[in-house]
Amino acid sequence: MKFQRGHVIILLIWLVIESCTLQKKDFDNPVDFIANEEKGIGAPTLVFYPKTQSKTIADSILVGAFIVFKEDSMESFSGIHLQIEFPNSFLELDTITPGLFITDTLKSTPLFTYTFDGTNTVDIFAYFLDTLKTDLLGTGHIADLVFNPIGTGSDSIRYNLSVCEMIDQDDAIIELKGDRGAEVIIQ
Amino acid sequence: MQKFKKYFLFIFLGILYGNNMNLRPTFLVLNHFDRKLSTADAALKENFTNSIFEFDSTFYLLFDNIDEYENPASSYMNTIKDLGEKHKVNFVLFNQIKHDDDRFMLEGQMFNTRSGGLIYRRKIDLTNYLNGQINELNLWVGNVTGNIEKEWQKNRESILFKNPENIVQEKTPLGAAMRSLIFPGWGQAYSGKKVSPRVWAGTESALSLAVLFNFLKYEEATKNYLANLKLYNETDDEKEVERFRNQAESDWDEHKMFSELAIAFAGATGTGWVANSIHAWIVGPRSFKNLYQKWDPQLPDTTG
Repeated sequence: MKFQRGHVIILLIWLVIESCTLQKKDFDNPVDFIANEEKGIGAPTLVFYPKTQSKTIADSILVGAFIVFKEDSMESFSGIHLQIEFPNSFLELDTITPGLFITDTLKSTPLFTYTFDGTNTVDIFAYFLDTLKTDLLGTGHIADLVFNPIGTGSDSIRYNLSVCEMIDQDDAIIELKGDRGAEVIIQ
Repeated sequence: MQKFKKYFLFIFLGILYGNNMNLRPTFLVLNHFDRKLSTADAALKENFTNSIFEFDSTFYLLFDNIDEYENPASSYMNTIKDLGEKHKVNFVLFNQIKHDDDRFMLEGQMFNTRSGGLIYRRKIDLTNYLNGQINELNLWVGNVTGNIEKEWQKNRESILFKNPENIVQEKTPLGAAMRSLIFPGWGQAYSGKKVSPRVWAGTESALSLAVLFNFLKYEEATKNYLANLKLYNETDDEKEVERFRNQAESDWDEHKMFSELAIAFAGATGTGWVANSIHAWIVGPRSFKNLYQKWDPQLPDTTG
């Protein structure tokens, strides 16, 4: 009986200690404009998803390029230029494909093209030239970049924000408020 | 010179009275006991060798209600004289013992056969103790004959309260407090309380259940939060990101609320637990320093 009472007391103490543990409120999805704002990065923002990934040398690395607007933003864009730099010491570019955001419109297929300088810089261009669907509104997936590891290392894929550009249908520049890179670890 | 004469007379009478068996006082003993005390007669003969006893239990009814008479001392003068002449005794001793649960009442009456009057009387009401009836009979007759042994007095003292420093308390306030510290209400029950053990046990059980309930809700909310956080981190769809974030935030708020509630209830449980132990100590069993007898106050008659 004393043994049971001892267990009850220990259980209560354990409950109290356990209850004192509060989980860290850690919302940090790059596609979440609130999480970006909490980090002091305003919208519209250029981000990569996932923000970090760890792969082996045998794997390929898929990185998504996203534009993130505020939820209630009424700003729409008709063209975008992204300049992306990647660590070519252990990554080589494999493929670049258009993201769902600009290919899933059905009625209007944007012009999507890219250039690679052969070293570590990729320029992606996407334009809406249609007469009906001339712009896009909100957060979305611009492109997927696939890389192949050529060695081991840890570095970031990042936007060159000074070169990146976004325009509306009147060719007016929409200011990009920030960017977030993606960390890649090859083991 | 006068003092020396008195001293020698006292010594002389003492030796004469002590050595000459014919001068020993003689008693007719009338015992009336409501329970059998077979050793009573033998005990008197054995313990009071300086007196001579005769026993006859046929007259007890005469002396049973002596207080009803206007003059109890002289109510049976002729009867006593007749008994004295008949049995050739100096005194008549009437001993009556009545029992009432764990108590007994001894009434002793001593009559002088020369005058027939009641010359000595003892009425005593006592808690029963080991061989108490025989011991009290010895004390009564010893008082009459002037021969009281210390052992009889010690025997009677067994029913008296001990010195406080010699009393070993079977139940103590500390014992009550420790019991309540182990299980709320136990100390109060140990102290013989009826209501407070239930109140404390009920209150502490309810608070403990509240702790458990809130902890389980906290656990559930924590699991939901972690699950939704995982889904939130694993999607790149802004609609799902928003949905999982909202769910995760709601779960986080819940887990925080239930955590705070669990801690608050745990605090209340702990505080109540300690308070219950202190209460057990306060109401714990103690020896009384003052004894009071209940009485019914009667209003003075003011009707004139």
